[in-house]
Amino acid sequence: MQERLTTHTIEFPYTRTLGPVYSAFLTGMRDGQVLGIKSRDGRVLCPPTEWDPTTGDALDGDLVPVGPGGVVTTWAWVTEPSRKHPLDHPFAFALIKLDGADTGLLHVVDAGGIDSMQTGMRVVPRWKQERIGHITDLEAFVPEGSK
Amino acid sequence: MTDAKQDEVDPNAPVAGMDFFMQLEYHELLCPVVREFADALMDKRLIGHRCPQCGLVYSPPRGYCPICVVPTTKADEIELATRGIVTNYTVVTPVQYYGQEETEPFAKVSLQLDGGGNLSLQDLLEVPVEQVHPGMRVEVVWAPDSERKVDDITNRSWGTAEGAIQGWKPTGEPDASPDDYSDKVF
Ligand SMILES: [Zn+2]
Repeated sequence: MQERLTTHTIEFPYTRTLGPVYSAFLTGMRDGQVLGIKSRDGRVLCPPTEWDPTTGDALDGDLVPVGPGGVVTTWAWVTEPSRKHPLDHPFAFALIKLDGADTGLLHVVDAGGIDSMQTGMRVVPRWKQERIGHITDLEAFVPEGSK
Repeated sequence: MTDAKQDEVDPNAPVAGMDFFMQLEYHELLCPVVREFADALMDKRLIGHRCPQCGLVYSPPRGYCPICVVPTTKADEIELATRGIVTNYTVVTPVQYYGQEETEPFAKVSLQLDGGGNLSLQDLLEVPVEQVHPGMRVEVVWAPDSERKVDDITNRSWGTAEGAIQGWKPTGEPDASPDDYSDKVF
């Protein structure tokens, strides 16, 4: 007798309010500018956090522009992207320390192939044409000079 | 979800919210008794198991009688009538939450099939919701051969099979007497 497979899909959509820091960060994304935030000891955190990671104090000061380019500090190559991944072809998840920032932003590097990936390599953002205020407005970083 | 209000949002206003979309998709094999139920539906047959001890009919079959705590097998399989009596009903007034496709009130009915067996959560066709009442005599309306499918049946199904059974329509016969179903309403 033929097997019968049944498919279940559970969906839970919701909207999260952002607060002053993430609102500013994602407004920057929509406008094509990556922003960081100054911690109490003068470091620039990108992605910005609502709390100082050292002292726990609230951070609600003005955000500062960083990048647009930066350096890959560590990375992992994704050979077979799933349908939920940001790109439909092999890419790298990477921590990227943007120029002017002191911490790493987890994002995607569209390098073409694993042989083009290297720790310490410089990358620049590739923005989407239509931006909505989401981390994926920045479609991917690409090796500097490759565009 | 879009509505006129959201469409009017100033594109230069600060981004105040972020949409999350959590989705979990999983697959399971139908267990043998439910698979036989699904296969029968594709042949326009309704089957169930009759408990060898108490005589209650389960459709879809479960492979056991939970009251007698005995297994039921292929030997207990029976074919059910595709006509019966509406024993109970619920009118659902859809709230337009995410994923709701219905817009107008609709009725779900419980059925007692002629000769034994019960189904719940069935769709009643051709009857305005304000006219639904217990005792109505109805018959099955199968989905057309080219469209009939059983993808929506699960191992925890209660006999709902919207891809195979479009619903039930009145036969036009007089209502059944309450004595015919009054102790079998569920
Ligand atoms: Zn029994």
